[in-house]
Amino acid sequence: MQRWIRSAALAASAVYLALGAVSCGGKRESEKAGTLNVAAFKGGYGLDFFEDAAKEFETERPGTKVKVWGNPRVWEQLRPLFVAGKPPDLAYPGWGMDHWPLVYENQLMPLDEALAGKPWSGEGKWADTFEPALLKLGQHGGKQWMLPYFYNINGWWYDKALFAKHGWTPPKTWSELLTLCGKIKAAGIAPITYQGKYPYYALHGFLFPWVVSAGGIQAFDDMQNLKPGAWKSAAVIRAASMIRELADKGYFQSGANGMSHTESQMEFVNGRAAMIPCGTWLNSEMREQLPKSGFEMAFFLPPTLDGGIGDPTNIDIGIEPWVVPSKGKNHGTAIDFYKYMTSLPKAKQFVERKGTLTAIKGSDEVKLPPYLVEPAAAFRASKAIWSVEYIQWYPKLGTASQNATAALLAGTVTPQEYAERLEAAAELARKDTETPRHTVTR
Amino acid sequence: MRTNNRGRAWFVAGFLAPATLLYAVFVVLPVCQAFQISLYRWRGISEQRTFVGLANFQRLAGDEVFRQALAHNLAFLVIGGALTLGLAMAIAHAIHGNGRWARLIRGVYLFPQIISMVVVAVLWMFVYNPSFGILKASLQTVGLGRFAMDWLGTPGTALPAVLVTFVWHAVGFHIMLFSAGLRTIPAEVQEAATLDGADGMLRFRQVTLPMLFPVLRVAIVYMVIGALNVFALVYLMTVGGPDRRTEVMLTYLYEQAFKHSDFGYGTALAVANFAVVMALSGLAMLLLRRDPTEAKA
Repeated sequence: MQRWIRSAALAASAVYLALGAVSCGGKRESEKAGTLNVAAFKGGYGLDFFEDAAKEFETERPGTKVKVWGNPRVWEQLRPLFVAGKPPDLAYPGWGMDHWPLVYENQLMPLDEALAGKPWSGEGKWADTFEPALLKLGQHGGKQWMLPYFYNINGWWYDKALFAKHGWTPPKTWSELLTLCGKIKAAGIAPITYQGKYPYYALHGFLFPWVVSAGGIQAFDDMQNLKPGAWKSAAVIRAASMIRELADKGYFQSGANGMSHTESQMEFVNGRAAMIPCGTWLNSEMREQLPKSGFEMAFFLPPTLDGGIGDPTNIDIGIEPWVVPSKGKNHGTAIDFYKYMTSLPKAKQFVERKGTLTAIKGSDEVKLPPYLVEPAAAFRASKAIWSVEYIQWYPKLGTASQNATAALLAGTVTPQEYAERLEAAAELARKDTETPRHTVTR
Repeated sequence: MRTNNRGRAWFVAGFLAPATLLYAVFVVLPVCQAFQISLYRWRGISEQRTFVGLANFQRLAGDEVFRQALAHNLAFLVIGGALTLGLAMAIAHAIHGNGRWARLIRGVYLFPQIISMVVVAVLWMFVYNPSFGILKASLQTVGLGRFAMDWLGTPGTALPAVLVTFVWHAVGFHIMLFSAGLRTIPAEVQEAATLDGADGMLRFRQVTLPMLFPVLRVAIVYMVIGALNVFALVYLMTVGGPDRRTEVMLTYLYEQAFKHSDFGYGTALAVANFAVVMALSGLAMLLLRRDPTEAKA
């Protein structure tokens, strides 16, 4: 009996060891030579488009194998791969990635040479097929490190059907906004809701558009460039006071401060709130929850100050970059595959299939879904764009500004105190000698 | 005889080896590594690290946010712990017995414990939802609608709101623990106490509680660990907000490491968390080391 147990114990430990050997020794398919390893964030747009592109690319380039993998937290898996020196050949790390340290620690390949080369088809430079203002968002120290694919425009959303029913029109100015909010409130609907749990949305939706409107795009550039005093400028205080005014007048949906993005967006699509700030991903994020009929999601730019000095055509853009890791094994194929993805027919297909705009010139010349018509027009009409880059450049300032904004929305700080807090956080960023500095240039 | 003993030793070692090996590789080694990393500045994105000695710990000593987070953890421990243990003890006592209803109720109370923390958090976000939440609806039904508010989004109520969820989740496990403990108390002892005239609260204080002491000690140590390591619940319900009003040690750690690419400081926070948990559970064990029933014997 005892002998039997002993052999069983031995057998058990043998199994343990064998399992260990298999998991250590098994070679991942992606590591095999010749297979292009592409890691992508699996968000609202899924992976299917990239997977399909991979299959097409395999027929375009016989003998090439492409493996696309990813999930909604892919950035957490990419970190150890980068540390171990085994990154994928091409990566779309997603919004949760702290991207710039990849550049500071030489984990990315500069792409200037590739951009100077030919595009997938036709003549000229690959660089010229991108919208130049969006390409710029991936540059640092005179080099191109990241490339845009699709881009987001931040603004406000309303339900056209609901507005038509009540005879309301989207407000263009602050005074129009206040008048409209009064009417909406009287109709028993919350005028504005927002994703209070993530103050990031309020920065994009309220604060920065009003800073740009009050102080011009320069006021916001100065903030991002960490110019002393820029975070407590008159424009910042004015914008913060506007946020407080909306809160004090009861024009924000009560309870919005604790709502997640999905909770507040549900309030909007269910008609309990009339307007919400968000990026152009809103429709794809909420498409499962949209009412079957009678709901027409539409975009408008945040109302500007009456007499504000900012150019009202300036818009807030965001990209989610793609990168070519320097320690990848197939640089050439990675770039070739990305050239295929950014070719005009593929980019147009992305716009049509995913309902969002891409950084490739002319890719919006397709039949756009109704909710994208206004954003696309706003992009074409814009004389300049701005992008909230400091959150990625200086993550600590990013966190501090979002926490301060939560306090402003909750009413625990005044606009003046808020501006002081922001400036103090900017001062810490100025003193931080470990993080390389970035600048916005026009 | 000797050979037999040696055979037995090998037999025992054979069973222990795989588990010990796994424990060493996946628990002991990472903990040692964490201590090492906390002495570096490391972005966690390449092998590039700079040795900074105790700089991360110096920063920790002056970190106002860490102090705030620790205070919130202690609120979970003291307020959450007292509520959980008190409620669990009362309920376990009330449903003591082996009837069908007692068993059913015990099962119901255990329910929160067996569902995933993620589900618990989402469930309570629905409860607190300021637009269609059950809490708001209930208050309105009884005519207290004016007390309905944005529980998770208001700086003053966010922490209590998360605390309630914490207690709701933890209470079931402790009811089970205390129920099991109550069943080990011989009925004769209780009866003898009753015959001596000790009933109700007096019997509970003088007989039941002392005899439950070993179980209570386990519960308290368990609570120390749970309250100081709370993460998922806070991260999902409030992300530590609004304005850090619900920040706890582990949400702060996550922010430093993953959002700020400051893995050196993040690991220093992990080491501090480890030290606090060790110190407080050690203290709890030290204070509760004497079993009162032994003292009387």
